[in-house]
Amino acid sequence: MSQPRPITEGSTAHRVYRYVPWAIFAFIAITAPFWAAHTPAFSIGESTLTFSLGNLNHAVAYMVGVLGLGILVGYNGQISLGNSFFMGVGGYVTATLVTDDGWSFLATLVVVLPVCFVIGMLIGLPALRIKGLYLALTTLGLAAVFPSIVRMEQLRDRTGGANGKRIESDLDAPGWVPIEPIGDFLSSIPLVGEWAYGEGVSGREADAVWVYLLLAALTAAAFWVARNLIYSRPGRSIIAIRDNETGAAVNGVNVPMTKTLTFGFSAMLGGLSGTMYAMAIGFVAPDVFGINLAIFLIVGLVVGGVGTLSGAIIGGIVIVFVPVWSAQIESVPGVPERFLRGPTGLFILGVLLIVLTFFLPGGIVYGMRKIRARFVQIVPDRQVAGDDVVVATGDATGGKMSRHGGKTALDVDDDPTLPDDDPHEEQAKRILDRDDGAESAPVSAPAQQTNQGETT
Amino acid sequence: MELFLARLFDGLSSGATYAVIAVALVLIYKATTLINFAQGELAMLGSFFAYILAIEQGIPLYLAIVLAMLLSAVLAAGIERVLIRPFDPADHLPLVIITLGLFLVINAVAGMIWGFDPRSFPRMFPEGDVWSMGIARLRWYTVGTMATVLVLLVLLTLLLKKTKIGLAFRAVSSNLESSGLVGVRAGPTLQFGWMLATAVGTLAGALFVADPFRQLDPTWAQRVLIFAAAAAVLGGLDSLWGALAGGIILGLVESMVVGYVDWIPNQMGLAAAVVAIIIVLVIRPNGLFGSKAVERV
Repeated sequence: MSQPRPITEGSTAHRVYRYVPWAIFAFIAITAPFWAAHTPAFSIGESTLTFSLGNLNHAVAYMVGVLGLGILVGYNGQISLGNSFFMGVGGYVTATLVTDDGWSFLATLVVVLPVCFVIGMLIGLPALRIKGLYLALTTLGLAAVFPSIVRMEQLRDRTGGANGKRIESDLDAPGWVPIEPIGDFLSSIPLVGEWAYGEGVSGREADAVWVYLLLAALTAAAFWVARNLIYSRPGRSIIAIRDNETGAAVNGVNVPMTKTLTFGFSAMLGGLSGTMYAMAIGFVAPDVFGINLAIFLIVGLVVGGVGTLSGAIIGGIVIVFVPVWSAQIESVPGVPERFLRGPTGLFILGVLLIVLTFFLPGGIVYGMRKIRARFVQIVPDRQVAGDDVVVATGDATGGKMSRHGGKTALDVDDDPTLPDDDPHEEQAKRILDRDDGAESAPVSAPAQQTNQGETT
Repeated sequence: MELFLARLFDGLSSGATYAVIAVALVLIYKATTLINFAQGELAMLGSFFAYILAIEQGIPLYLAIVLAMLLSAVLAAGIERVLIRPFDPADHLPLVIITLGLFLVINAVAGMIWGFDPRSFPRMFPEGDVWSMGIARLRWYTVGTMATVLVLLVLLTLLLKKTKIGLAFRAVSSNLESSGLVGVRAGPTLQFGWMLATAVGTLAGALFVADPFRQLDPTWAQRVLIFAAAAAVLGGLDSLWGALAGGIILGLVESMVVGYVDWIPNQMGLAAAVVAIIIVLVIRPNGLFGSKAVERV
């Protein structure tokens, strides 16, 4: 293996390296609905796998749910399995407000977000005393209870009881959004346009594309807020609690307050995800938000990467498309056909959960970072080193005091320039930080130890 | 009075089955301080083993249950060796994830092999009542389940207190490191704990679905897991007899509260269990009979 190619920070190459993948990702994310609108299909053997826009919308809705869980489990270290509960609350509140009271979908967020935040905080309060496995157990119980709550006779008028509730409102594409022209434009791209984007979109397809764009905008907003939270001072408190609760408390982090608020924030994202589910599917049913969804969220988190934000994108796609595709597979050589008619999706997700925990504990995002590190290495520009110093020590050390400038490491946002007495150490730190960023430290921290911790 | 007795007997009968699965959870918790989220599914699998052996292979029911217990114990030994032992017992998240993965896999495999149609499990105890007064019927099933639980707990207590492997088990559960220093091999001992717990779980599964009012399908264990966990937490997660007490209390609470308090709907038994877990963990984290946990910082 050759040495990774060094890229100097701040150089043109670095800028290209940073922004071009982002641009490609944004392009794919925005044009995906135009591609998926006419349900592209792939043939594998005798089976045909489809990629429908409805499933894509579903996946986008789940991404936010996985993101919310990831903040609580991956960054704050509170093992919660109950986020499906908040998704259920969000989904049902939206369903009833839209259908029974004639609200618009987005307006229901005004109710859903605060309600879920408050319920999350209330459940976060006992979580201050209940930790680790006990918390996992309690929250799993919560997830199991949700279906029986919405089936209650007293709530039947609002929830539709065991049959679920159809949402009688359509999200139609408004006239001012040029969805059809964009579709026509994409399919007029020479060579690949018609192959990838077909004949453009119209009518109902355009409405589905509009739903996707709304969901994508909400998702982008959720990720933006989550990212800013994690990279801010409260975010470092959240991470410090995960790494060492006592250490965080000693360094002035208000542990109960931070944990409760994190629970609330996570629940709020869960509620948003539920609302998005209602927008995407147009139907809510009790068993959608049961114990299986609770575990699926964990699968999404682990597959994407515990302690990463971007892993939630992969996680949402996996937990929707794996069951869909495995239901579409009709024959696999060497496997009796009747096994393929059962819950193969559950089986694959369960196996994924176990296999990834063994072989890729940081999930797919961590795996991609490892591959990337083989090819390129971001090195700081020596001439300007020491100018724009941002050392995220809060992550790794759990909020140790930093002597520099007499501030705590938790203040890194406005940390003054570090003195030049230890340039090597600083350089090393900067390389470490820049290479995988504050985001990746958690990936390796809790998960990697596990494989090495061979017990006797 | 009749109604009260009827509810009392209902509560006892479901409480006893919760108690047996709770005992399985307690065994694993004692050994590894791990809550096995797949315990219910393992019990479900074991109940299917017993069903297949008894109905399709024509083996007498009691022998079939014993064979199913052995079979599931072997399976558990493999699971422990391959999936659990490589991980650091102090790091909870990967173990929770692994047991959740097992939960999904076992559930899916059972669904793929046996389908989701409900089947009726053969009767383990004679039909009819031991004693009855109006609508209050003390069924043979209730008596038989209670008796089985008591015998099981006595046997387990003897096993843990009087045998060498029981001594090793208690040594490992009290202190992993020190037990290694005095020559107890932790790995096989924990494996033994898993085997024992899963065999007990299989017995519990068979007892649970042997109730004439219940049926066997791959989903029965999902609800029961929460009840059993609530029973185990209530009794103190490391106390075998506490699990029995917790199970009975929970069964009684379920039948009495839901029966007597009008505004609580029928399906809220599960919610009552979850509320019980939360209250116990917040107010008395060691449960009724658990040993006090000392936390060092």
